[in-house]
Amino acid sequence: MDWILLAELSTNGVFVGLMYALVSLGIVLIYKTSGTANLAQGAIAMTGGYVTWALATLVGVPIWLAIPAALVIMFGFGLLMERIALRRMIGQPVIMTIMLTLGVEIMLRGILPGVFGAAVKRLDIGMPQQPLFVGELLLNRATMIGGSISLLLILLSLFFFNSRFGVVMRAVADDQTASWSVGIRVERAIAVAWGLAAVSATAAGVLWGSTQGVDWSLSLLLIKALAIAILGGLDSIPGVLIAGVIVGVAESLATGVLDPLVGGGSRDVVAAVIILVTLLLKPHGLFGRHHIERV
Amino acid sequence: MFYRRAGIRHTRYQDERQLFPLGFDRGLIIAVLAILLAAPFLFDRLYVSGYLLPWLIWTSAALGLNLLMGWSGQIHLGYGAVMGIGAYGSVHLVRLGVPLEIAMIAGGLLSATIGTMFGGAALRMKGIYLAMATLAMQYVVDFVISHSTVISGGSLATLQVPPVSFLGIPLQGEVPTYYLALGVCFVITLFMLNVRRTSFGRALAALREKDYAAQILGISTFRYKLLAFWVSSFIGGVVGSVLAVTYLRAISPDQFHIELSIQILAMIIVGGLGSVLGPFFGTALILFAPILLNNLLGFTAGKFGWSLPIDLRAHLPLMAYGALVIGFLLYEPLGLAKIYANFRNYLLVWPFRHAQR
Amino acid sequence: MSLDRRSFIAGSAALAAPLVLPVQVFAQEKIVRFTLPQDFTRIYTFVTSEYNQGQRDYFTLVNDRGGVGGYKIVADITDHANDLPRAIEAYERGKREGAVLIDPLSTPVARALVPRALEDKINMITAYSGRSDAADGSAFPYVLPLSINYWTQAGLIIEQFKKTEKGSLKGKKIVFVHIDTPFGKEPLPILNVLAKKEGYELAAFPYTPPGNDQSAIWPQVRRARPDFVIFWGAGVGQTVALTEAIRNGLPMDRVSGSVWLSESDMDVVGREAAKGVMKVEPCVGGREPKVIKDILADVVGKGKGAGPENKVGTGYYNYGVQMATLMVEGVRKAAEKAPNGPVTGPWLNEGLRSITNFTADGLLPPTTITKDDHQGGGMGRIARWDGAKFVPITDWYSANQDVVWEEIRKNSEEFKKSGK
Repeated sequence: MDWILLAELSTNGVFVGLMYALVSLGIVLIYKTSGTANLAQGAIAMTGGYVTWALATLVGVPIWLAIPAALVIMFGFGLLMERIALRRMIGQPVIMTIMLTLGVEIMLRGILPGVFGAAVKRLDIGMPQQPLFVGELLLNRATMIGGSISLLLILLSLFFFNSRFGVVMRAVADDQTASWSVGIRVERAIAVAWGLAAVSATAAGVLWGSTQGVDWSLSLLLIKALAIAILGGLDSIPGVLIAGVIVGVAESLATGVLDPLVGGGSRDVVAAVIILVTLLLKPHGLFGRHHIERV
Repeated sequence: MFYRRAGIRHTRYQDERQLFPLGFDRGLIIAVLAILLAAPFLFDRLYVSGYLLPWLIWTSAALGLNLLMGWSGQIHLGYGAVMGIGAYGSVHLVRLGVPLEIAMIAGGLLSATIGTMFGGAALRMKGIYLAMATLAMQYVVDFVISHSTVISGGSLATLQVPPVSFLGIPLQGEVPTYYLALGVCFVITLFMLNVRRTSFGRALAALREKDYAAQILGISTFRYKLLAFWVSSFIGGVVGSVLAVTYLRAISPDQFHIELSIQILAMIIVGGLGSVLGPFFGTALILFAPILLNNLLGFTAGKFGWSLPIDLRAHLPLMAYGALVIGFLLYEPLGLAKIYANFRNYLLVWPFRHAQR
Repeated sequence: MSLDRRSFIAGSAALAAPLVLPVQVFAQEKIVRFTLPQDFTRIYTFVTSEYNQGQRDYFTLVNDRGGVGGYKIVADITDHANDLPRAIEAYERGKREGAVLIDPLSTPVARALVPRALEDKINMITAYSGRSDAADGSAFPYVLPLSINYWTQAGLIIEQFKKTEKGSLKGKKIVFVHIDTPFGKEPLPILNVLAKKEGYELAAFPYTPPGNDQSAIWPQVRRARPDFVIFWGAGVGQTVALTEAIRNGLPMDRVSGSVWLSESDMDVVGREAAKGVMKVEPCVGGREPKVIKDILADVVGKGKGAGPENKVGTGYYNYGVQMATLMVEGVRKAAEKAPNGPVTGPWLNEGLRSITNFTADGLLPPTTITKDDHQGGGMGRIARWDGAKFVPITDWYSANQDVVWEEIRKNSEEFKKSGK
């Protein structure tokens, strides 16, 4: 067994997992407040990437300004999406909202490449590329920085939930009718959750877009994000953090250990297996609340 | 208008219980069937093998999924994988020399067996958790198929379907393949029309409305959930093998990915959950709207020299696909079947708009 | 949603509208119709728009100069989105309108169309896609790759490595990083056979498609301490592979890709950082070749360009021109043999399969298509990225064709046995 390789893969996995967790943060935020599964989260991340790219390249805004501007725009986009589409779905069966978000994903995947061009776009946010050696161990600076930013953002969202508005959102998450009756504007809380989800997706889109370039394939972040959200529990933000690290490390190690055995890229299937195992053994995830109806 | 209904409608219980109690509906269906039967001789080959054939196949698949999602209310995001299992199973059997008739059934059984495992998840969870579980299973099946060269077939990962015959008729050219697809679609439609009149169909409906209420009524949710998955997966497997033999003719793993699952899901959502007619409409819209839009854009571009950037032009059908799904969910969640029903009701009482049906 | 009279009438009108569209009529002119349904929206987005732009620009050039052999080229372009129903519809439509050639530029589509094209005698171009064994013309008379397949590309790369190591790869270590799809695994048999022959050690690392996260692969590649790295993917997988290679500090001048590496990939990775990386060039890149200059002057210069001018001369654009020149050359040959047609699949097939030593004024390596060899001779060259463009470091050459053809025959034999 090559311990250094394993150590390297694990460190790497931690940071990459955190970068994935940023995408699933949005899924959790939305599920927590409104009980809706948002399968468009990957496409929203892609949209964020495209918007940032468009601001930086087409409009010519410097990148340090383009990113916050994109975050603001995407917050508005999230609000708009909730207002136009999701709010009408209240009371409809689950499959309808799932399909609606899938429809949004399909449409976004058409609109953005259609308008801005399908070729891969470069999004340079000035991440250092040179390798950093600590003894034998190589640390990937770009993923380290990306992972740290994600960690920061997720922690920020935890703090946000302790603010006044955060308390409101928690109340909505707890019981919508009860919050309504004490005068909380439930719709507004849900809308803000969508806005914040779009913001976290945009941050993820920018981080991933700077590594792989911006194109439609950013929307494929979804399946990893789902795995993390489910493992951590669909309504737990600390769960996202820990599950992100677990999924990241598991995938990374699977690539190192499992791939030579099965002769193929086992990375995606690891996410799928994590979803399955979690759902079968502990459907509410590691930190989710026990509210699933058993049949 | 056309239905010419007035006064007492039925004088015998048999009349009331008919699948299609109205004479006009029967006539319409016979006319459509006659057109479909004569299609290879009426229409150009382009329309038979480019439109009707995929329409029949995809509709059959959508009907199978609709049994599960519309009738019994279980969510399934991995139907493409189920079809893939059937396709691979039957093509392998055909390559081993098993006659197609048996291979199709065997493919269906294989799908049903593995598909019931998907159903196993439904015993533990529901709603979005079931959606996630089936989605994950889709990925696992994809992985297994594409990573075992025994299944996917050598280094090129393509399995050629050998020349086959069905009931002694060689399936070559578009006419016999079309009739095979038509036959399968007919049988499945007939089954779907009748299933809601059986105890099985009623049990599924009870399950859909509330599973523990159904349990209290004495309907075993365990049994009927698995049965729903079994039947729907069996249909999926058979359709998968029809798809492989009549349409694809060479199968590779990427033909049964998540895109296929979502496409079929979109078909039944747009068509109408829980309706038999809906998938026919939904399939037509989802399959052909992009093609027609594409051709229309190409036509206008050629005719008027109106040139959109190629990227935008090419992505318009994808936007239309998404917009169709969103639009139906927002404005007509019951789908095209409901729009047809409105249309029919309008004609039923025409010209007395406010009359009760 | 209830129905009242107004919405009923409006709805009926909307339903009836598509039915009354007039059918497109063409002037009475000798034309050869090509149909180019390609994937602009799903998987092959990275290449299609540039490839297609090159094809259309060249057809415009040919038509403006009076056509070829008395024929004008008509090319129908649609998007099949890598979706089989749409691709098959496009194929059937093209056939009905009299198209004699189809270029789907997608491996899954090409595979589904192979039996149909063989049956209907329609020439299918499978450049850099489709079945590699289609190079065997005796098994696939109507499937024409007209370009070096992946096996040949792998052979060329190994030959170049051998040259770098002054003639022997004995004891060297070559790492093959590939996307984990049939396409990515395709070169493996050739690399394995060559490993035995040349004595190098081969290690393969697959990554999950589409390859937007390869961060766990490249540390292993680095730790394997390879002498050379081949990375095999397409689109986003390529840029991520290069980015990760840089982040892991691999020497870029010992890394090579297949034909799927373009200037825009380099933009994404960073032009300076990627300096030194190699790729296989099946035709000349850049704006130097005469054909590209002509296009710039007579098509783009006159405002008839099919797309943005800055894409002219990029790698994939030139691949498109390359394929278009070969198709047009096929028409010319066919018109030479039977000037009055009739324009059918077999007519064009005769022409395409008698292309000899064609270079398109220096755009292609000398290409000869015969009834047996649909690959065109298997010549290519290696080019190196110098920070601004790909500079060829070898002449046109072909290598390891014996091994490649062994593999081609093995697979085409099997197709003959099981397919038809």
